Amino acid sequence: MKIRIPLILTFVTALVMIVVFFTPHRLGDYVQTKLNDWVMVIGGLGLVLGLVSLLQRHLRKIAHRQQDWGYSVVAVVGFAVMSIVGVGWGIQEGTVFNWIFMNAYLPLDATMFSILAFFVASAAFRTFRARSVEAALLLGAALVVMFGRVPWGQLLFKPSPLVAEWVMSSPALGAKRAILLGVSLGGIAMSLRIILGIERSHLGGESE
Amino acid sequence: MAPSLRSGRRRPVGRATRLSPFRCPAAAADPARLRGLDPRAPATPPAPPGSLAPTEVRAEPSKEKDDPSGASAVVTWKAPTALPPPGQELKGYRVYRAADQGAFEGLLEAITKPEQISQEGQEPRLSAPVSDLWTWHRYRFKVAALYGPQDPEEKVKAAGPRPWYMKGQVKPERSKDWGEPLLVDEVLSEDASGVVHTHAKWYRIDRTNVLIGSLLFSIVVIWYIRRARAGRHVYIRPIAGMEAIDEAIGRATEMGKPILYIAGLDPLGTISTITAMTILGRVARRTAEYETPLLVPCVDPLVMLAAREIVKEAYLDAGKPDAYREQDIFFLTDRQFAYVAGVDGIMLREKPAANVYMGYFYAEALVMAETGSITGAIQIAGTDSDTQIPFFVTSCDYTLMGEELYAATAYLSREPLLMAQLKAQDLGKAALGVLVAAAVVAASVAAFLTAGGLQHAADHINQVLDLFRPLG
Repeated sequence: MKIRIPLILTFVTALVMIVVFFTPHRLGDYVQTKLNDWVMVIGGLGLVLGLVSLLQRHLRKIAHRQQDWGYSVVAVVGFAVMSIVGVGWGIQEGTVFNWIFMNAYLPLDATMFSILAFFVASAAFRTFRARSVEAALLLGAALVVMFGRVPWGQLLFKPSPLVAEWVMSSPALGAKRAILLGVSLGGIAMSLRIILGIERSHLGGESE
Repeated sequence: MAPSLRSGRRRPVGRATRLSPFRCPAAAADPARLRGLDPRAPATPPAPPGSLAPTEVRAEPSKEKDDPSGASAVVTWKAPTALPPPGQELKGYRVYRAADQGAFEGLLEAITKPEQISQEGQEPRLSAPVSDLWTWHRYRFKVAALYGPQDPEEKVKAAGPRPWYMKGQVKPERSKDWGEPLLVDEVLSEDASGVVHTHAKWYRIDRTNVLIGSLLFSIVVIWYIRRARAGRHVYIRPIAGMEAIDEAIGRATEMGKPILYIAGLDPLGTISTITAMTILGRVARRTAEYETPLLVPCVDPLVMLAAREIVKEAYLDAGKPDAYREQDIFFLTDRQFAYVAGVDGIMLREKPAANVYMGYFYAEALVMAETGSITGAIQIAGTDSDTQIPFFVTSCDYTLMGEELYAATAYLSREPLLMAQLKAQDLGKAALGVLVAAAVVAASVAAFLTAGGLQHAADHINQVLDLFRPLG
């Protein structure tokens, strides 16, 4: 029963969603909206369990003085402070919660994002070494695109933006679409496996 | 100037209308004011010649290509012929509708820029779509012209002691009192349109090509499944990334270090995450056999719950329930870059021997993969996110690209039923390749025919090509 009930639910829900996709009737929109609401409600309940898991993990680390337990103290204190000021004084503009969010969280978030630029440079340095024909082609294409995207590229060779645009819109887009076609077919096949109950490992069971 | 609601040419306010007074704030507050009988209100200036109301209102159901649901109509009318009263200007229109034998009710949204339809030899007409009608009803429509002060300065003067503000109804231009523009007059057309029947439609004909394509592919998949059930051998091409998973687990076991499994950033409802969960089940079975620690930081609490169940089952199946550690599958945060920071911290502190990224990723992919690369872990990625594939290719040792992600569970399990579907996928790809090649040839031929003056023949080819176009 542990496997059978989820399988039946999956099959029925999938059928409903397929019908909704192919029907323009308002009833379809209504059903879809309701199902999305259910997902949100379940997600909200799940968040509580997630927070419990988070706290358990860090409190255990602190209690057992595991390696780098100081970071866990920061996590727990941060969690407690934000919960207290958020629940106590609200989260709208002008509150302490909002101030911490804007002045502590957002800069940290932006910092993590900006690190991406350095990682792109290091990844590019490692990749663009012409050790094989394929790597040389990649390097050539990258140089053409970079040349077409910087102002002095156009100054040195006027049609360089057009060449870069052609690389992006023809060979690159063609390859991208080929991947997307494969993804679509793979997605349909995977969905069929799940709907028909052939693939069960996500339910904690063996495939049929 | 008194706020008024008038119907037809030079009719006094409220006389010929059947509008519910509860639809109009001014009327609800003071019905005498609506009728223009309020002694406090300044006198309305005499209307210039012509009609201040829209005329010749007509309506018809929307065309199926515009609204396949059958729950909308297109209303057309002629603009007022009279000039607005002094100090006022035409701000827009409002459509009123009456369902069956009910009273006319104004729609909330004012139409400030109706589409103009010009037919040869006829006066131009204005047009606006009306959606969200109930199906299986009979509707009639009227149109009101909305008049207001010419400029914001005039609004204050014209408002009088009790201005009539109707929130969000007219959007002439942004001003300091934006959101509460002043309406002075709303002049309703005398005649209603003919009756429009709304019929519910149950099938989107514009998605027929999608339905046929999906059905054909599903038939191929089911046919291969039947073949596999009959015991036929199915050969599938080797996928290097899948072969490497065993290698990675072996390496981690030898080094006595954990394996880090990242299931992407999407929620549990997406096909990529479900696939990531199925692969997790297979990976967990192998780690259970070798008793190698498996760390799964999750970005979604529901994914965490599913992952716990899957890993627990895998450890039970492997006969190692005692080796299962629930605390190793945990919720980190649901914020993208906070999650990245957490995962990078785990990579740098715990130094996992292998990092497995399966699922859908966004900008965080490169940050995690590069950090993993710095720690010297063997890295295996699989994603159907076409924008992140290049980053994984550059930073990981093995990458499953696109549909290879979906093939992973079949490959790992070696079950004939699952592998049969890989054959169906390959056949589908081959068929699509042939179709794309044929379409390229056909489109080129159509272009040549057009250039050669054979437009009629080219149109036939284009009509066939249009059958494959996504329509809705």
